Amino acid sequence: MTFPSIFLFIQSFFGFGQTAQIDIVLDDKSTRPQIEVKDEEGHKNQLYLFLDGETVKGQVHINLKTPGKKLEHNGIKVEFLGQIEMFYDRGNHHEFTSLVRELAPPGEMTRSQTFQFEFQNVEKSHESYNGINVRLRYLLRVTIVRRLADITKELDLWVHQYSILPKINNSIKMEVGIEDCLHIEFEYSKSKYYLKDAIVGKIYFLLVRIKIKHMELAIIKRESTGTGPNVYNESETITKYEIMDGAPVRGESIPIRLFLAGFELAPTMRDINKKFSVRYYLNLVLVDEEERRYFKQQEITLWRKKEDGETAEQYLVS
Amino acid sequence: MFSQNFPMAAATIVAEDQDKLLEEALTVVKAQSLQMKRCLDKNKLMDALKHCSTMLSELRTAMMSPKTYYELYMTVSDELRYLEMYLIDEFEKGKRVSDLYELVQYAGNIIPRLYLLITVGAVYIKAKEAPKKDILKDLVEMCRGVQHPLRGLFLRNYLLSITKNVLPDTSEENPQRDGSFRESIDFVLLNFAEMNKLWVRMQHQGHSRDREKRERERQELRILVGTNLVRLSQLEGVDAACYDETVLPGILEQVVSCKDAIAQEYLMECIIQVFPDEYHLRTLPKFLAACAELHKAVNVKNIIISLLDRLAAFATRDGSVPEELKLFEIFSGQVATVIEARPDMPTEDMLALQVSLAKLALNCYKDKLEYMDKVLRNTADIFTRMKTTNIDADSPAAAKELTKLLKLPLDAYPDVLTVLRLENFTPLIAFFGYESRKHLSTHIVRAAIDKKTKFAAPESVTALLDMVAPLIVDQEDQPAEKDDPEDFAEEQSLVGRLVSLFHSEQPDQHYQILSTARKHFGNGGETRIRYTLPPLIFSALRLAVLYSSLREQDELWEKKCQKIFQFCHQTITALAKADFSELAMRLFLQAALAADKTGVENIAYEFVTQAIQIFEEDISESKAQISAVSLLIGTLEATSCFGDDNFDRLSTKCALHASKLLKKPDQCRAISTLSHLFWSGSNAEGEERRDGKRVLECLQRALKIADTCMDASMNVHLFVELLNRYVYYYERGNEMVTLKYITGLIELITTNIASMDRNDEYNQINANFQNIITHIKLKQKSADGPNYAGITV
Repeated sequence: MTFPSIFLFIQSFFGFGQTAQIDIVLDDKSTRPQIEVKDEEGHKNQLYLFLDGETVKGQVHINLKTPGKKLEHNGIKVEFLGQIEMFYDRGNHHEFTSLVRELAPPGEMTRSQTFQFEFQNVEKSHESYNGINVRLRYLLRVTIVRRLADITKELDLWVHQYSILPKINNSIKMEVGIEDCLHIEFEYSKSKYYLKDAIVGKIYFLLVRIKIKHMELAIIKRESTGTGPNVYNESETITKYEIMDGAPVRGESIPIRLFLAGFELAPTMRDINKKFSVRYYLNLVLVDEEERRYFKQQEITLWRKKEDGETAEQYLVS
Repeated sequence: MFSQNFPMAAATIVAEDQDKLLEEALTVVKAQSLQMKRCLDKNKLMDALKHCSTMLSELRTAMMSPKTYYELYMTVSDELRYLEMYLIDEFEKGKRVSDLYELVQYAGNIIPRLYLLITVGAVYIKAKEAPKKDILKDLVEMCRGVQHPLRGLFLRNYLLSITKNVLPDTSEENPQRDGSFRESIDFVLLNFAEMNKLWVRMQHQGHSRDREKRERERQELRILVGTNLVRLSQLEGVDAACYDETVLPGILEQVVSCKDAIAQEYLMECIIQVFPDEYHLRTLPKFLAACAELHKAVNVKNIIISLLDRLAAFATRDGSVPEELKLFEIFSGQVATVIEARPDMPTEDMLALQVSLAKLALNCYKDKLEYMDKVLRNTADIFTRMKTTNIDADSPAAAKELTKLLKLPLDAYPDVLTVLRLENFTPLIAFFGYESRKHLSTHIVRAAIDKKTKFAAPESVTALLDMVAPLIVDQEDQPAEKDDPEDFAEEQSLVGRLVSLFHSEQPDQHYQILSTARKHFGNGGETRIRYTLPPLIFSALRLAVLYSSLREQDELWEKKCQKIFQFCHQTITALAKADFSELAMRLFLQAALAADKTGVENIAYEFVTQAIQIFEEDISESKAQISAVSLLIGTLEATSCFGDDNFDRLSTKCALHASKLLKKPDQCRAISTLSHLFWSGSNAEGEERRDGKRVLECLQRALKIADTCMDASMNVHLFVELLNRYVYYYERGNEMVTLKYITGLIELITTNIASMDRNDEYNQINANFQNIITHIKLKQKSADGPNYAGITV
């Protein structure tokens, strides 16, 4: 502990200096959609939701705590930041976006004041993400720059990034097996799914010589952070979905239909600023009567589509 | 390639007590269902669905027997109804079902998920939010996820039962959108095919030592599969044409391709039972062609028979089969194909098929004898092909079927003559062993008797008697030991009764018939003729009398009569030679009576002398002698053709034999009976002889013999009997019999009877005596009648 900070503490505690409360209020706070996001500790927070290119606009209220006293500062600014935080390297934020608006030049404040700010059509190149080892966040930060200790206030924003319908979206089709034991062909209708999509497909049994007990389809999320030898992989099973009960015989075709909307999914993120990736896999698992598991993973791409009221009807098998 | 993980230890399923399993499962079901209902009542749908899903998870069990699982399933599906009702209410209030249809699909386990999906799906259909046909299609396709036979069967049964009343049919308002019965057919056929596959698959699971148990369990489950067919039959859109073109081919394809005997046997039967007979008539070739393709182990016979019998019954009930439908030809052809395709089919099954075919021929085409005959020929062909010579020895079951087959036309046709017209009938009998042949023969004879079939031509008599040969003559394959005498007597009496059916209105023809029968019966050996010849003789004698009455029209009558009497003579002699002396004697006497009626004295005389000769030579037993003598006397008394010379000779013989009887009472009685010969017997002019003197002689001789009886009570008994005769002749005006005799006899009796012991015998004798006395007293009082004045009684 160094002297100046003790001093600051005493000064503010005993009312020697002026201090201020900062509020950031968005202009469209009543109309802007909000989203519930869990933080690291599992607390749920309501965050304003923004899209790429949307203007971030609002007011900063600075309320002086002690009326009559002046607040000296070396300038007031508001920043729009996009940063990637690695949990194993807390101090080191990687900022990929940083925009600054000066609200006031260095000087003194003698009364509470409100400043307008606007980041017009701001580019938000990534989705927000709260992962196991990494977080990608957007925030507004207001700083009253002072000689000894700045006064800051942050407002986290949440960003969704819509993609457009992928031009190429091939089905995933593959024949796998164990020689003279089990041969199956599976087909997922697409390789790219939007978040409220449904995975539709089928498993066709070409050869069955083992006693299968059941078959399930799991969605696995894999988060990779770091590079080179310092890569950390974290896998999380989003869901396990039984698609077959009992032992099929040769020639059976088992339908798959798994709705995604009900799960907490985010778009696939590939190599975001060379810091991290979040990928999704479909894991097809067959379990035999001796509890042996046979599985095959396939990566799928998840993407966010502009909402347009999907209904179940579209997924009836045609 | 797959990646593979090995578990630490394989789980072993311990067989548990089924009741306990069920109890535990039901406890969970009840608890979860209660929670579900509570949540629904509070409109907490999400929570309700969670409880429902937990409840449904009980159906994931792999440890229950089909029976136990069924119980569980029934309870669970009952509880699901509550949810269904709630959801129907909700959509009526305006809630969207489509969201729910998606929502329930998040359930992680497939069994609860699909039960929920089906339940919601049914509501979705009722809510008309989406096209019916699409939802149905979706449901039936999604059910593919359950490949476990037992669980899959019940799941699909649930699908079938819950969609029961919503399947699109002919009355669909918007068939373009919702589909028509065509889509319903596809839906049920697909479900049927999948269920059948699951059902068949059960056969191939588990250890081979459990096969019987497994097959039993499969039988328990078959109704689940069959329900699909019931559902198809309930669709109004399924008319005969649609059944022919779509439904039946769809079912048959599955049935044939599954190659499973249990399934094929049940489903073919099911088709027959579930769909109307009119449809079967229309699709006969298709159905039967499929029969030929069934698994070897399938009892095709049962299937075809079931259909045949049904259609035969239908044809009888509903009038005739449409002309253009060659029902018999089709069946006959298919039966032949099936038999050909299955060389190892048991003979009894082949025959059972013929039996059914015969039923069809007889029920639907009674007037087409050639059909029935064709069945018989086919049957004979089978035997020839199999080189069968004795079906009883080869296969008792087959013999039974053959008997059944041959009895059919016997019972069906109004007379046995029709059966004789079946060329292939008699040859078939030859394939039987002795016992069956005899059994059938008896049946034929009974049928002839019961139906009162007249055999009016020698040819038909020959045909019949050849047919029933085992009853007529000894058989080469007959067992050495003799039949039970009572059975034999009964059987031969039956044959004897046949003779009454051998009858022609034409006397000449009738004679031909009798000689034909005689020839056959004559070969029957000594044991049979005792029963078979007498009726023939009676019939011949009647014929002779008939000729005699026709003497005005037939100038040859006398010759013919003579011929008949010769025939009788010879026939009776045959019996006599076979040591049936008494019978022969009686028959000779009978012949004598007939000859007497025709008025030919010398023949009648010949017959009587033959009778007497037999009596003298062969009848030695005293009781037989007694009855023979009285018969002889009775016969002579009844004749009227004898001149005095012949009469004297014959009556003297009678008197001689009467007095030669062993016991005094018998002599006494015979001689007193003989007296009637001289009184009421006729002379050649047809008048009563009324020879009072000879009568009195007889009576006095009888009295003398009675008097010599040592047995006192017999003595009195005979006196009373004689008194009776005296009274009779006195009253008839025999002047030789005077009151003196009567008075004397009464006194004698009165004296003797007083010394008798008072016992039953006394009572009886005294009663007889008193009756006579009372009679006399009555006559004394009456003005007219015989004069008993001077007797004091």
